[in-house]
Amino acid sequence: MNKQEKPNSITNVLIVGVGGQGVIMVSKVLARLCQRHGFDVKQSEVHGMAKRGGVVFSHVRFGEKIWSPTVSEGNADVLLALEWAEALRWLHYLKPKTGTFIADTQHIVPPFACLKRHRGAEQRYAQETPEEIVSQVAKGYALDATGIATELGNFRVSNTVLLGTLSTALAFDEADWRDTLAELVPPKTIDTNLEAFQKGRDWVEEVKKTPKKEKNTKKPNKIAPYQQQVKIQNDIQQDLIPVITAAWCKGCDICVKMCPERCLKLNTKEVVELVEPERCTGCRICEWLCPDFAIDVVKVPTPLNEEASKSKPASLPETV
Amino acid sequence: MNETEDISKNGEDTHLVSEKSARDFNIRDYLRTSLFPHFLCPGCGHGIALRALLWAIYELDIDKNNLVIVSGIGCSGRTGAYIDANTFHTTHGRPLAFATGLALARPDLKVIVITGDGDCLAIGGNHLIHASRRNLDITCMMLNNEVYGMTGGQASPTTSETRYTTTSPSGSIEPVFDACRLAEAAGAGFVGRDVTLQMPRLKNLLRDAIQYRGFSFVEVISDCTEIFGRKNDLGESPEMILSQKSAMRPSSYGNVVDEPFRPNTLKTGILARNDRPEYGATYRAHAETIQAKGK
Repeated sequence: MNKQEKPNSITNVLIVGVGGQGVIMVSKVLARLCQRHGFDVKQSEVHGMAKRGGVVFSHVRFGEKIWSPTVSEGNADVLLALEWAEALRWLHYLKPKTGTFIADTQHIVPPFACLKRHRGAEQRYAQETPEEIVSQVAKGYALDATGIATELGNFRVSNTVLLGTLSTALAFDEADWRDTLAELVPPKTIDTNLEAFQKGRDWVEEVKKTPKKEKNTKKPNKIAPYQQQVKIQNDIQQDLIPVITAAWCKGCDICVKMCPERCLKLNTKEVVELVEPERCTGCRICEWLCPDFAIDVVKVPTPLNEEASKSKPASLPETV
Repeated sequence: MNETEDISKNGEDTHLVSEKSARDFNIRDYLRTSLFPHFLCPGCGHGIALRALLWAIYELDIDKNNLVIVSGIGCSGRTGAYIDANTFHTTHGRPLAFATGLALARPDLKVIVITGDGDCLAIGGNHLIHASRRNLDITCMMLNNEVYGMTGGQASPTTSETRYTTTSPSGSIEPVFDACRLAEAAGAGFVGRDVTLQMPRLKNLLRDAIQYRGFSFVEVISDCTEIFGRKNDLGESPEMILSQKSAMRPSSYGNVVDEPFRPNTLKTGILARNDRPEYGATYRAHAETIQAKGK
């Protein structure tokens, strides 16, 4: 593809992801490549408030002459998403009948997706499966780029894997892609990046060869390494609950005021009560700050979400 | 080792608490549960300090048979009676004197003194400076609630200026003792201070103090809600312990930028730590040389 072949067409590429994934890197490579081919390129991005884990998006538009730097809704020829929920969030930008959808199936769950702060509470994350989405768009690729990158030994090159996939959707020379990529990535990581790029291309080739139904036989990598860690902690603390020795409580109100979840309350007898057990996270602050030793945060045999009330009396410590 | 380095390191570590320790520590193993509920007023910080001490003892895995709690008179003196160990309720101001004799005679025991601000600084002020000077292996936990609570709210040596008590009906005009600086100047090997609100950190401070071989002095800022707080309109116990926390700065922060905006804040954490020889060991070595000479 070059300037002479397609004089009046403009290609819109929208790259989305979360902070730290390399969204800007991908868009930089693409923009540089387009410049090399003599296109007018405009790239605009929002990354300022993203920090690690926040939303980052980058619009890349190239063609004969570009005026607007942003892609309007329903106008993106290619939507490249580095994270699954972001892919869904920006899906309406894709051109309805001709757009190409490329997404990583990796889930990065933001902290606020866990509305219930109880340990082990279910996270609210997009329920749509990659198969559903891919079947709805004109041309869809959903791959476990992070899994591929992890196999290569560096999960951070997942963006390059997706770049490889993107390269099949745009009609630039493979060699040009590689040159531009090698030019922009840190010198030490050129080999890994080129390998990851090739993996991304290979993945598309494979999908094109195999019949449509067998796409995505691989299970999406649902749990990122740091999330696994969180899960382990959940398992430990899930079933902790404050048990109150009413005879010892003097109603000083410290636990009620200090509880971060506000799940304790003084009753009419000026004795503390656990009013909202489902909100308790087992943080032990009430236990530590009770001057009367009236609160013990103990383990209950069954997790809270499964009828905790039944098992509570059994775990009561000996009282006087 | 550089002392400042040591302090900052400890200051940063002290807020950590291991999940296992929090889970396995059952305070009822260390309490005389038949005496409960205890006599302290609702919201008295002494209970929180007692939990911190017992947790520190649990973490150090000290045998209860080798543990002696010596306490004086006052609200703080009574808290010792709730500990299921060898407890020793002594005369007013003299727990350190009793503990000195005990620690010298029985070096195999772990001696911990629980004392109050009046007990330790007014009536027993003399004993504090000499215990600090000798550097005998005793841990002294001073519960500072700024008032003589048990006897009806008289002004103590730590009652802040302008505060109302029964003996200072128009506001106290006496300058206060900084107990930590007093102990440090008198030569205590380990000096620390913390508020009850910083519970796991207070526990770690007490643990370090008990581990220290020599005289370790820990001032715990406690709250007297019923008498001192009510008389001075300081709010309920939650407000009191929160305001205590805001009046303190961890020593590891050093001279931070906001110091001009927070004048007169006290430092918390480990304030002094040195490697002076422990008196008990020196005493015994000395006795041995005399005995050897006599033969």
